[in-house]
Amino acid sequence: MSSFTTRADAALADPILKIAVERTAGTAQAKRAIAIDAFPDFEAARTRAAAIKDHVIAHLGPYLEQFEASAIAAGAQVYWAQTADEACRIVIAICKAAGAKTVARSKSMLGEEIGLPHALEEAGIGRVETDLAEHIIQLADERPSHIIWPAMHKTSEQVSALFKAKHRTPHQEETIAAMAQSARRELRGAMLGADVGISGANFLIADSGAVCTVTNEGNAELSLVPPRVHIVTAGIEKIVPSMPHAIHMLRMLARSATGAALTQYTTFYTGPRRPGDRDGPEEMHIVLVDNGRTKMREEGLAEMLRCIRCGACMNHCVVFRQIGGHAYGGTYPGPMGAVLTPTLDGLAATRDLAHACTLNGMCQQVCPVKIPLPTLLRGWREKSWREGLEPTSMRAGLGLWAWVATRPALYRLGTAIAIRAIRLLGRKGWIARLPLAGGWTQYRDLPKPAAQSFMAQYHQEQRK
Amino acid sequence: MSARAAILARLKCPAPIASEAAALLRAPERPAVDVTNLESEFLARLALPSVNASHDVVASLTDLPAAIARYLADQNEPLTLCCPPDPRLDVCDWSAFALHATAAPDETATLAIARTAIAETGSLIFETSPTAPMLPNFLTLHHIVLLPVSAIAAHLEDAPLPGPQPRAHYWITGVSGTTDIEGTYVRGAHGPRFLHVILLRGELPHMAD
Repeated sequence: MSSFTTRADAALADPILKIAVERTAGTAQAKRAIAIDAFPDFEAARTRAAAIKDHVIAHLGPYLEQFEASAIAAGAQVYWAQTADEACRIVIAICKAAGAKTVARSKSMLGEEIGLPHALEEAGIGRVETDLAEHIIQLADERPSHIIWPAMHKTSEQVSALFKAKHRTPHQEETIAAMAQSARRELRGAMLGADVGISGANFLIADSGAVCTVTNEGNAELSLVPPRVHIVTAGIEKIVPSMPHAIHMLRMLARSATGAALTQYTTFYTGPRRPGDRDGPEEMHIVLVDNGRTKMREEGLAEMLRCIRCGACMNHCVVFRQIGGHAYGGTYPGPMGAVLTPTLDGLAATRDLAHACTLNGMCQQVCPVKIPLPTLLRGWREKSWREGLEPTSMRAGLGLWAWVATRPALYRLGTAIAIRAIRLLGRKGWIARLPLAGGWTQYRDLPKPAAQSFMAQYHQEQRK
Repeated sequence: MSARAAILARLKCPAPIASEAAALLRAPERPAVDVTNLESEFLARLALPSVNASHDVVASLTDLPAAIARYLADQNEPLTLCCPPDPRLDVCDWSAFALHATAAPDETATLAIARTAIAETGSLIFETSPTAPMLPNFLTLHHIVLLPVSAIAAHLEDAPLPGPQPRAHYWITGVSGTTDIEGTYVRGAHGPRFLHVILLRGELPHMAD
């Protein structure tokens, strides 16, 4: 696997990617700002949303048992999986028992996290991704680059070419509306003909056993109502005590994700089809997936379990906006991904994600459940240091810095010399190239430093 | 040890106290709604670009077919309608329409009755039942929704039914849309491209038990 640095370099060198990311993330940021302005109590609502999630995480075991009992009482079957592989095995077994040849999948990041698309392929079960963006990346054989807009990295020109190559009756007009219609034509029959519908869950309602999904396209309902079997794969942290708790979280989710007051379609599924119902699945199976979540709760990452997967942190992240989602290398990109990925994929392979952060705090500021993302990222940096995962050059550099920093006179002398040297490189107030830091200045200019250090100026003022 | 036992063993924690969970819902922050004027509050949200729905008003249920005919004529669509098997609609004269109960994959127009609607968001609230299938409301191009004015409520907390839940309880807040290509909004992604709400001033007959 390539390193984060290699992937980030490739992303920075791709001018089309930058345009594509900026078009969607920029729009999302602007729309969210308007939605928050229109909801003056949003700040207090964030505090409440964080408190609801903290309450659930503190009592997660009993709430899961309550959900399980309610869902079974409603006629659903409930399964538990400790790992991604176990979750996939359960899903495949249900599909095989149902004699499924094709499944319609409604976008679920948990499904991506556990590798379900790949597991279905290995089991020889046809998979139709029904969310427009997931359909695009399925055709392109790529992975999602954003949790709300998985095809954010693609421009409309690229999508147009893809549909023309792969759709049976592609669009004629070069408009985004015509492209969406082409996908509608392509997918409708596949959704109606699927043997199994697979979804994730935005919320699991403990007291009723309901599973909540939200979409703007209506593809969840079209994927989950016609097939004979509905399978849900959900992370165990998706629990809320009751519908009114879910309602508070839904108000936060839609505004933070797309800037809408609510998604177009919000559905609560409670068990399979009832006697006399005209439609709906005959079987409903719910797989509750741990995959590292209990470990996060035990190891100081409980706050991360508040995450409702809105994507606001990445839309506002200066690093994500430069490199897009694929460079992060995991299922989840951006700040929330940089916190989650070391848990899912191991810190040794992902330690540099925590460094791909300016600690400007924007992610925490926009998070609807107030996750202290910069603090959690610093936690990974510290752990990486403690476990000796940082490279020798970094350890030596920091060691040298620490040695000098504990000797103030030497430190002042060193900075005075460095300032003079760096100022020589300045042109019109900016430094475009630094010896020994070419990688850093390749994508950035450094402002020319002041003639004297802050401390030197301070002492001068004091002497006046 | 089963996966269930292993997960629950790691999540050993006190059972939640109901009053704690209830306290988290005290005086929730939510967008202001003028509860003395729910109809106009609802209609204002319905007209927002994000919801993108049209509306009409009828005095009584018997006026419903004419209102639907008017809408379909404006849209240059035939008088063909997928109609739910709801006995409350039997008082209407549907003789001008070709009615059917099962939606075609490319259905043109479907009628549904909303149990309630929410002024806060402009949402229409539905439940599945033997007289209320779900799929036709998603397959159709034009979704036509009958809503008694008296059923409009203020906030989303007013949407759920108390007690045991139906198989599906769903909220529709506008037409099917997507921003998946470059963040550009397009209506009619997979579901309805048009949502038309017909407000009923009179009462709906009660459903027979």
